[in-house]
Amino acid sequence: MSDLPNVNEFNLGPISCHAFNQDRTALALSFNSNVVNIFRKSGSGWSLAWTLAEHDKHVTSIDWAPKSNRIVTCSQDRNAYVWTLDSASQQWRPSLVLLRINRAATFVRWSPEEDKFAVASGSRCISVCYFEEDNDWWASKHIKKPIRSTVLSLDWHPNNVLLAAGCADMKARVFSAFIKGNDKKPAPSPWGEKLPFNTVCGEFSSGTGGWVHSVAFSPSGDALAFTGHDSTLTIVTPAAGSVQTIRAPSLPYLSALWLNENQIIAAGHDCAPHLFENKGQQWAFSASLDSAVKKADVGFTARDTFRRMDSRAQSTTSNDTEVHTHHQNTINSIRAFTGDRNHVDQYSTSGIDGKLIIWSTNNIAKGMSNLHL
Amino acid sequence: MAFRKIDIDALEEDALGQDELDFQEIGEARSRQEVEAQVNSRAQEVRTLLQRGNTGGALSSSLQSPPYGRGFEAAKARNTQTVMEVLNSIKVAEVAQLVKNLNPEEQDVLMKYLYAGMAAPEQNNSGVLLAWHEKLTEVAGQGCIVRVITDRRTV
Amino acid sequence: MPGRLDANRSAVGLSDEEDGAPSGALMVRVGVQSNTLRPYLNAVRQTLTAAMCLENFSSQVAERHNKPEVEAGASREVLLNPVVISRNDKERVLIESSVNSLRVSIAIKQADEIERILAHKFTRFLTQRAENFVILRRKPIEGYDISFLITNAHTEQMYKHKLVDFIIQFMEEVDKEISEMKLSLNARARIVSESYLSQFN
Repeated sequence: MSDLPNVNEFNLGPISCHAFNQDRTALALSFNSNVVNIFRKSGSGWSLAWTLAEHDKHVTSIDWAPKSNRIVTCSQDRNAYVWTLDSASQQWRPSLVLLRINRAATFVRWSPEEDKFAVASGSRCISVCYFEEDNDWWASKHIKKPIRSTVLSLDWHPNNVLLAAGCADMKARVFSAFIKGNDKKPAPSPWGEKLPFNTVCGEFSSGTGGWVHSVAFSPSGDALAFTGHDSTLTIVTPAAGSVQTIRAPSLPYLSALWLNENQIIAAGHDCAPHLFENKGQQWAFSASLDSAVKKADVGFTARDTFRRMDSRAQSTTSNDTEVHTHHQNTINSIRAFTGDRNHVDQYSTSGIDGKLIIWSTNNIAKGMSNLHL
Repeated sequence: MAFRKIDIDALEEDALGQDELDFQEIGEARSRQEVEAQVNSRAQEVRTLLQRGNTGGALSSSLQSPPYGRGFEAAKARNTQTVMEVLNSIKVAEVAQLVKNLNPEEQDVLMKYLYAGMAAPEQNNSGVLLAWHEKLTEVAGQGCIVRVITDRRTV
Repeated sequence: MPGRLDANRSAVGLSDEEDGAPSGALMVRVGVQSNTLRPYLNAVRQTLTAAMCLENFSSQVAERHNKPEVEAGASREVLLNPVVISRNDKERVLIESSVNSLRVSIAIKQADEIERILAHKFTRFLTQRAENFVILRRKPIEGYDISFLITNAHTEQMYKHKLVDFIIQFMEEVDKEISEMKLSLNARARIVSESYLSQFN
C-alpha cells in the first residue's frame, strides 16, 4: 500500500458521514440527503450496490458494526434505523428504533460489544438503545441531566459502559450508559467505580467557549480528547487529574481520532488533518499531515501582482485564496481504516467537498522532516 | 386570546439562558469595587512601564486578568483605554516582535481588545488597530480570531 | 504613527472633492487610499474566514425545522459574539456568526450628501434584485447599508474562499462604483450648467 493519500471522488455532493464494513470492501455514505448509499469495492473504485431510503430528512450519521454486520443510521427526521442484510434476498431490511425524541438525531455509534448503540439528539438528551428480546425491538433509555443543548458527538469507552458526549452547551461529559440486565459490571477505571445509568463521571470545558464538535477516548480509555469550535483540542487524563487545552492557530476541528496512546489526528474547517503528539506528559501540535504541493505561482504579470496586493489584500507568494490541500472543503469525519484501536495504520476522512481520502500513518514517522505547517 | 401571544419557547426549562451563558466560564463573581481597583492600579502600573520605555512589559501587563462579566462596564471601558494607550505608543516596527513574545492566552486577550477597539471607531484609531490585527493574525493564526467570537468572556 | 494615518485619512477625504484632477494625481490618490484599505480588507478577510465555519444544524426549538440561527435567534448558545471591523467611523463591517449561518453587514463610505444618495440608490438597486445574488439579504441591518446572509447550504455548494473573495471584491468595487458615479455626476452637472449659463453671455 502506498503512503500517498488515496483520494476517492464521488462528485455526488457533500458527504455528511461515512462508515466502512469490517473488511473495508463496502462503504456507506450519505450525500447531504435523506438516503444512504452503500458502495462495494470494484477494482480501484467503488460501485453503488444498495440505496437505503427510509429516512425522510437529512441523514446525520451512520455506523457499521464490524462483527454483527449491522448498520445504524440516524437523521434529522428524529428517527434511527438498524439495518440488517437479509441473506436470502441480499437486501438491507430496516427496523425502526424507539428513540422517543422530538428533535433531530445528530450522531450515532455502536458500543464496542455491538449490543447497544447511543444516539445523540437535539432534544437535549442521548438515547442509549438496546435490544429487547421480548418485544423484538430496539428500546432506549435517556441520559438527560445535565445536558443543556444539542448533543453533537459521542464516543464509547472500550469497557462498553462509559459514554463520552460533546455538546453545544460548550461541555464534554462522560456518562455511564450501564443497562441493567444487559451489561456486566465494568472493572473500576479512573472514571469511577460505581456506575449506575446516567452517572456523570466528568464534565469538562476548554474555558474559551465553543461547541464541542468531537469527543474521543484514548485506546486504553484512560484519557479523553475533545475538540471545540474555539479551535482547541483538550486532553483530559483523570488518573493524573490533568486537563490540558491546546489553542490551535487554525480553524476549528470537527473530528478527532487517536492513532495510538500518544498521537491524535484532528481535522475540520482547515481541510487538512493535523497531528498532535504527547511529548513527555505535555501535548502539543506537531504538524499538518497534508503536504499537497502548492500550485506554481505563474501566469501573473507584475502588474497583476501589484494590483491584487494593492486592492484585494492578497499576498502573491502564498496566493492564499486557493486551497492547497487534498480536501477542498471542510472535513467533517475521520475514522480508523486499518489497524486496531491501539495502533491505527490508516484512517479515512470525508468532507463537504464530496471526497473520501484514505491516509497512511507511515509517513508520519518517516517524513516528519519534510512536513511543515 | 392573550395566551396566543405568550412565547412558549421562552418557558423551556432546559434551554440555556443568556445569564447562564455569560457566567458559565467566569467563575466566582467579584465585587465592582474590587474589579475597578484592580483596573485602576493596572493602568498606573502600565503607565509607569511605558514611561520607562518597557513597551513589552506594558503590553503584557495590560493584558493580565481583564475584567469579565456583566455590570463592569466602567471598568471594562477603563481597561480598554489602558490597552489602547499601550497600542498607540508602540512603534510599528516593534509590533511583530512584541506580538511574538506574548503567550497564546495573552494573544487571545489582545485580539479581543483589538475588536473591542474597532467597535468604537470614533474613540480609537482604527488604522493602528488594523496594523496590530494584521501582525497578530500572522503570528497567532485564525484560531485566535475564532476564539474572540466563541469566548463568552467579552471585554 | 497615529498622526501619520490621520493625515492620510484627511488626504483621502480631500481628494474626493476634486474631480477634474489629472491622471497623475489620481494614481497618487489610489496609492494613499490603499494604505489603510489593504489592512482593512485583510482584517475583514481573516475575520470572515474565521467566522465562516458553518455546519448543518437542525433547530432545537421548532421540530423538523432547519433555519438560520443568526436570524432566528431562538437558541442563545449557538450564537457567537458579533464583531466589528472598522476603517474609520464611516466605513465598517459587522460580522454576526452562528452555528449554521453568518450575517455580514457593510457600512459604505459616505463623505457627503451626493455619496449618501448614490450609496442609497445603489444598495436599493441591489437589494430589490436580491434573488439574483443568492447571499444578499433583502434588508440591511440597522446602521449598515447592505447585508449578506450566508448559510451552511451556501458553504456546501460554493467554495468558502470564493465566498470570502466575493464579499471583499464587493467592498472594493462598491467604493469604486460610487466614486465613479460621483465623478460622472459632477461632470454631467458641469456640462449642463455650462450649456445653461452659455445662453446668458
